[in-house]
Amino acid sequence: MSAAASTPHVSAEPETLALLRHSVAGLARFDGQRIRAWRDRSPGFDRALWREMASQGWFAIPVPETEGGLALGIEAAAIVAEQLGRACLPEPYVMAGFLGPMLLAQSTNEAARRELLPDVLSGETVLAPAWQSADGGISPSTPGVFARPDADGFVLSGESRFVVPAEADIYLALAHDGDGLLVAAVERRDVRMLRQEPGPDGVSTAWLGFQDLRVPKSRLLMSGEAVAARVQAALDHAVIVQSAELCGLMQRALEMTLDYLRTRRQFGAPIGSFQALQHRAVDLFIQQELARHATGTAVRAAANATDCRVLSRAASSAKARAAHAALLIATQSIQLHGAIGFTDEYDLGLYVNRIVRLAASFGNAAEHRRRFAAASAET
Amino acid sequence: MSFRYGVEQERDWNALTDEEFRAIVRAEFEANYPTELRYAPRRLRWHETKDWYLRMAAKGWIAPNWPVEYGGMGLSPAKLLIFHEETERWGIGRYQDHGTLMLGPVLIRWGTEEQRRKYLPDVLACRSIWCQGYSEPGAGSDLASLGTRVVLDGDEFVITGQKIWTTLAQDATHMFLLARTDPGAKKQEGISFLLLDLAQKGVRVRPIRDIAGHEEFCEVFLDEARTHVSNLVGELNRGWTVAKSLLGFERIHIGSPRMPEYGLTVLKRVAEARGVWDDPLFRDKYFALALDVQHLADAYNHFTAIVIRGEPLGQDVSYLKIWATETFQRIADLTVETAGPFAAVKGDVRLNDTTVNVLASFYKARPPTIYGGTNEIQRNILAQQVLGLPRR
Ligand SMILES: Cc1cc2nc3c(=O)[nH]c(=O)nc-3n(C[C@H](O)[C@H](O)[C@H](O)COP(=O)(O)OP(=O)(O)OC[C@H]3O[C@@H](n4cnc5c(N)ncnc54)[C@H](O)[C@@H]3O)c2cc1C
Repeated sequence: MSAAASTPHVSAEPETLALLRHSVAGLARFDGQRIRAWRDRSPGFDRALWREMASQGWFAIPVPETEGGLALGIEAAAIVAEQLGRACLPEPYVMAGFLGPMLLAQSTNEAARRELLPDVLSGETVLAPAWQSADGGISPSTPGVFARPDADGFVLSGESRFVVPAEADIYLALAHDGDGLLVAAVERRDVRMLRQEPGPDGVSTAWLGFQDLRVPKSRLLMSGEAVAARVQAALDHAVIVQSAELCGLMQRALEMTLDYLRTRRQFGAPIGSFQALQHRAVDLFIQQELARHATGTAVRAAANATDCRVLSRAASSAKARAAHAALLIATQSIQLHGAIGFTDEYDLGLYVNRIVRLAASFGNAAEHRRRFAAASAET
Repeated sequence: MSFRYGVEQERDWNALTDEEFRAIVRAEFEANYPTELRYAPRRLRWHETKDWYLRMAAKGWIAPNWPVEYGGMGLSPAKLLIFHEETERWGIGRYQDHGTLMLGPVLIRWGTEEQRRKYLPDVLACRSIWCQGYSEPGAGSDLASLGTRVVLDGDEFVITGQKIWTTLAQDATHMFLLARTDPGAKKQEGISFLLLDLAQKGVRVRPIRDIAGHEEFCEVFLDEARTHVSNLVGELNRGWTVAKSLLGFERIHIGSPRMPEYGLTVLKRVAEARGVWDDPLFRDKYFALALDVQHLADAYNHFTAIVIRGEPLGQDVSYLKIWATETFQRIADLTVETAGPFAAVKGDVRLNDTTVNVLASFYKARPPTIYGGTNEIQRNILAQQVLGLPRR
C-alpha cells in the first residue's frame, strides 16, 4: 500500500463549509456578458477577479497552514468548484487555483516553495500544471517532456499540451528523467508557445515546446521515487474537484431547462406539461443526482484515502459519471429548448460549451471508465 | 410555351442510364467544385458559394428538381436522387437554396403564370435568393399559432410581425412567408402564403450567432413591410395547404443517410489517429453505428422507391427523419468520446498525423433534431397517425 493522499487530512467543520459555499456564491455570480467578453481573448480570464478569488483564500485550501495555507481539504475545494460551475466562470480554478498550489505546496524544494507560494496564494502569480503529452494520454507516467541531468540541474526537451491556463506566469512542467518523474517550475518567457488551441468555451489551452531548456536545481520542485504517486494523487484530487465543477454546471443547465419547460407555451400549454418532455426531464434529473452523489462519495474517499488505488478509482468513478451526465444534460437541454437552445445569445449555450470542454479534459467519461476498470481488475 | 425560363438543357438527362448520368454529374463536381469548400464545418455564405452556383446557373444545373419547361433539369425522381447523392458525396456546400428547393415547386404547383414569370428566372440566375419565413418567437412547433399580421391597403398587403430562425436571411433578397390574413378564423384557416421583397424599409434582418460561433440564422422584423396583392400564392387564407405540400419532401431530405455516413468517415479518421481503430471495443461501437446507418439507407431506399414510382409518401416517413438525425447525433457523440482531450479544442485540431475538426460533427448534429419539425413532433405524428394511438 502506498501513501498517496496529498491534501492534508483535515476535514473542515460543516459550518465552515456552509460559510464557504455562501461566500463563493456571493462572489462568483453568473455574468453572461462578462463571459462572452473574455472569450477568445488573451488571457481568457480576468486577472482582477483572480486576485479577488485569491483574497478569499480559495487557493490556500489545499495548502498546509505551515505554508501559509488554510488546509481545508478537498471538501472545501469541491464546494468552491461547484459554485464556480454554477456561475459558469471561465477562470481556471481547478488547474491554477487548486492543482497548481497543491503541487507547489508539496515541493521538497523549500526555497522555491517559500519564494513562489505567497504570490500564488495572493493571485499575483498564475500557475499552470503542464503534465499532458501532445497525444493526450491521461496518465502522468508518460509526460511528453524529457529531462536530462546537467551540471547544475536539468535540461528539458519535448512538448506539453492542453495546458490551462494557456498564458500562465509559471508552468509546472512534469518531465521524465529516465528513472522517474520530476516537476520543475518554468517561467513563461522560457518556453515556446507552439500553439494556443481555442476551446469551445473560448478559453484556450497551450501547446508548449521545451527546446533544450536549462532548469537550475533551484527550480526543481520535486524529483525521485515518490513523485509519480504524488503527482497521480494530485491529479486525482483535481479530477474530483473538476467533477464538482461539472456538477455545478449541469445543475444550472437543468434548472434553466426546467424553467423553460414551465414558461414556454406551444399548443396552448406550457411545453413542460407534455408527458414526453416530463419523462425526459426526469431522466436528466436522475443523471444529475447520480453525478452529485458519485462526486460526493469521491470527495469523502479522497479526504480519507491512504491508498492511491482507492483514490484513483474514486476519481474515475466521479468523472465518468459527471462527464456523462453533464454532456447528456447539455445536449438534451438544447433539444428541450428548441432553436433558442442553439443560440449563443441565450445563456444555456455558455453552459453547454463549458461542459463540452470540461467533459473532455482531464479524461472524458470513457477514459475514466477504462481507468476504473483497470483499477478494479487489480484489486 | 414561348416564355423562356433559364438556359436550355444540354440534353435529355432522363434518357441516360443511371450510371451514365452519375458519371457526368460526378465528373463536373470533381473537376470544378473548389476543394477548400468541400465538407465545410458550417453553412457557407453567399460570397463563398457564389462562384460555384453562378456556374451551376450558367450550366442550367441550378434547379435539378424543376421541370425542363421551367428552366430546371427536369430530372426523374431516380435521377434527382443521384444528383443529390453526388452533391452530398462530394461535400458540396449549400447556398440559401430555398428558392429552388421550395419556392420553385410551390409556384409551379400553386402560383400564377404571372408569378412564375416574374420570379423563377431570377431564382434560376441566382439574381434572387429566397429564405423561408415560417417560425416566429411564439410559434415554433405550434406554427399555426403564428401572429404576423396583414392588413390590406389598396392593392398592397401591409405586413407587421417578427420571423425568427430564418436560415441565411442575411444573404436573401426575398422571403416567402406565412402570415395571418384573417385574425378571426380558426388557427390554420386564417393564414396566407406571401412573397416579399426584403429590400425595403419595413424589413430589418438581424443575424443570430449560434453556439458554434456561426451566424446561420436570423431574426427578421417586419414593420409595415409591403407587398403587392399579386404576391399572394394560392388562395387567400389557404396558405397552410400551400406550405404543407412541401413537408413530405423535407422529411425525406433530412432523412437521407449522407450526413451520418459522413459522420462515420470523420469518426473513423479520429479513431485511426487515436490508435483505437483496431480495438475490438471500439469496433463494436463503430459497427453498431455503421449498421444503424446501413439500415437507415435500406429504409431510405424504400421511401425513395415510392417517390420514384410517383406515389405519395405516407406519414411513416417521419421515422426516417428521427432515425437519420439521432443516428448522426450518436455518431457525433462517439466521435467526441473517441477524441478524448482533442474534443476540448474548437475548429481544426492536430491529432497525431491527421488534422480534423472534431467538434464540427458535435455542433452539426444538434439542429437537425430541431428543424423540419422537431423529433418530438415527429414522434407525436407517428404515434397518432401511424400507430393509431389515441390522443389525449
Ligand atoms: C438551424 C435551424 C434553422 C432553421 N431554419 C428555419 C428557417 O429557415 N425558417 C423557419 O421558418 N424556421 C427555421 N427554423 C425553426 C424551426 O422550424 C423551429 O426551431 C422548430 O419548428 C421548433 O420550434 P421552436 O424552436 O420554437 O421550439 P418549440 O416548439 O418551442 O419546442 C421546444 C421543445 O418542446 C418540444 N415540444 C413542442 N411541442 C411539443 C409537443 N406537442 N409534444 C412534445 N414535445 C413538444 C419540442 O420538440 C422541443 O423539444 C430553424 C431552426 C434551426 C435550429
